Amino acid sequence: MQADLIVACILLVVAFGTCILVPLFWPLDPVRGVFSATFKPPMSFAGGHLHPLGTDQLGRDLLARLGLGTAISLGIVFVASVISAVLGTVLGMIAGYFGGWVDALIMRLVDMQLAIPFILLILLIVAVIGPSLMNLIVVLGITGWAIYARVARARTLEVRELEYIESARAIGQRKLFILFRHVLPNILVPQTVLLTLDLPRLIILEASVGFLGLGVQPPTPTLGGLIGEGRSFMLIANWLVLYPGLMIAALVIACNLLGDWLVRRNDLREL
Amino acid sequence: MLRYLLIRAGQGLLVLFGVSAIVFFSLFLTGDPAAVMMPPDATTAEIASFRHAMGFDQPIWIQYLRFLGHALTGHFGDSLRYQQPALSLLLQRIPATALLALTALAWSSLFGFVFGIIAALRQNSALDLTIRVVSLLGQAVPVFWLGLLMIIVFSLRHHWLPSSGMGTAAQLVMPSLSLGAYYFAAITRLVRASLIEALGQDYVRTARAKGLSEWRITVRHALRNALIPVVTVQGMYFASLMGGALITEIIFAWPGVGRLAVEAIQTRDFTVVQATVLFSALLFVVVNFLVDIAYVWLNPRIRL
Repeated sequence: MQADLIVACILLVVAFGTCILVPLFWPLDPVRGVFSATFKPPMSFAGGHLHPLGTDQLGRDLLARLGLGTAISLGIVFVASVISAVLGTVLGMIAGYFGGWVDALIMRLVDMQLAIPFILLILLIVAVIGPSLMNLIVVLGITGWAIYARVARARTLEVRELEYIESARAIGQRKLFILFRHVLPNILVPQTVLLTLDLPRLIILEASVGFLGLGVQPPTPTLGGLIGEGRSFMLIANWLVLYPGLMIAALVIACNLLGDWLVRRNDLREL
Repeated sequence: MLRYLLIRAGQGLLVLFGVSAIVFFSLFLTGDPAAVMMPPDATTAEIASFRHAMGFDQPIWIQYLRFLGHALTGHFGDSLRYQQPALSLLLQRIPATALLALTALAWSSLFGFVFGIIAALRQNSALDLTIRVVSLLGQAVPVFWLGLLMIIVFSLRHHWLPSSGMGTAAQLVMPSLSLGAYYFAAITRLVRASLIEALGQDYVRTARAKGLSEWRITVRHALRNALIPVVTVQGMYFASLMGGALITEIIFAWPGVGRLAVEAIQTRDFTVVQATVLFSALLFVVVNFLVDIAYVWLNPRIRL
């Protein structure tokens, strides 16, 4: 289905365009507002400036905030998912290759991770250690490795029985060398596709934490934070809730379509 | 089969054990749980006496064993905010969450199955395309955004439905719709995909060759096998349903467990948070065990 891919690309261009171009080139300040320009609806002029998406309760331009907020949210999500992917892949390969009690231990940790509603655990930890950007990235990163470990383990179990691994063992190569040199290249593609499929979950999770006020703290905007703040003014300024939500939906749809397309293309049905 | 189920039950217990450790030790992440649990403006002397009262000055493994012992008997300590046992606070809130979650689960699985089957039987028709687009949207839209959107349209603009509270049937409509949307979309996509795959299998061709009716082939042969992947992922979807319930309850001021948990986190009422996390983990383990049983029943290959 090429149509899926085209839609995904269009959405990604719009989203990335907004979060790269707006913080770089849009002249209005995302953090400091103009008090004479509060609650201007989309496409209105105030103080000689056009506000394409309107302004908020402090007279800040929503487009400027949405651009920066998307950049920050996506930054958190990308770094966190790379942490998850690396951690999960290494642990999954170790579990699959060594087997025995190491395998059992790692797989029980996986079960455990899948057994807690992530959001509660994340909220708990963030509440204890404080809601900074760094803390958020680390917490999201180390709570999401379970599915990567599962897939990496399954792949490793298949690969380690192949003849070239056996010959590598036979000529006395070290186990870690075999893992990273011979096993890893075989699981890189599925892990990358998995990352694409897992991004929507993280995007929504980060937005939910921000919505509840435990994400990166104001005045710094994030996608969820914008919706959380705008919620109080829904009656008079629904655009504050509308556009950040559309951005989240666009990102999630794009990742889902792209992920499904990659699955079909690489013939990775088991994901 | 009994062996398989016993192993799974054992694993479930292990998971609960691990979750209890996480819940307990997370309070020690900053080094001093007394300072974490007390309000920010508490004096050093207050914190010190609280530390002693809670037993935080004892060796950590003794504290953990005591926590575990208390948790097994349902004693999580008193809520610092409500001055009530955390467990009884939790128990008071369960019926509201159960009502919300079961309503959401009921409509979304019913419509998910119906639309998934229709889409699979009419593959690539306009109807199929519509259903696919709707389910893609349903999975893409965050629960809280959908909820707020419905409030804007149905409460603020048209005054058709109340935007918050619990008690009347009208108040249940929007929370259960927004909570079930993701689940509905997921079930629809999954039923469609696995039914399409099952309909392409050899045993369906055999059934057709025997001259069975199309209805009988779909329901008796294809759908039963298509159910296996659907059942397998129920456990994982259930976790996201619980996470979604948390947010939905906040938006619609629904007096359930999720709102209790979020308010407890915001007011640093950590005994209540510990009780809620352990409770949801327990619920999750039980649901997954039921899923395992259903899986064994549906898939005779494991029964060997």
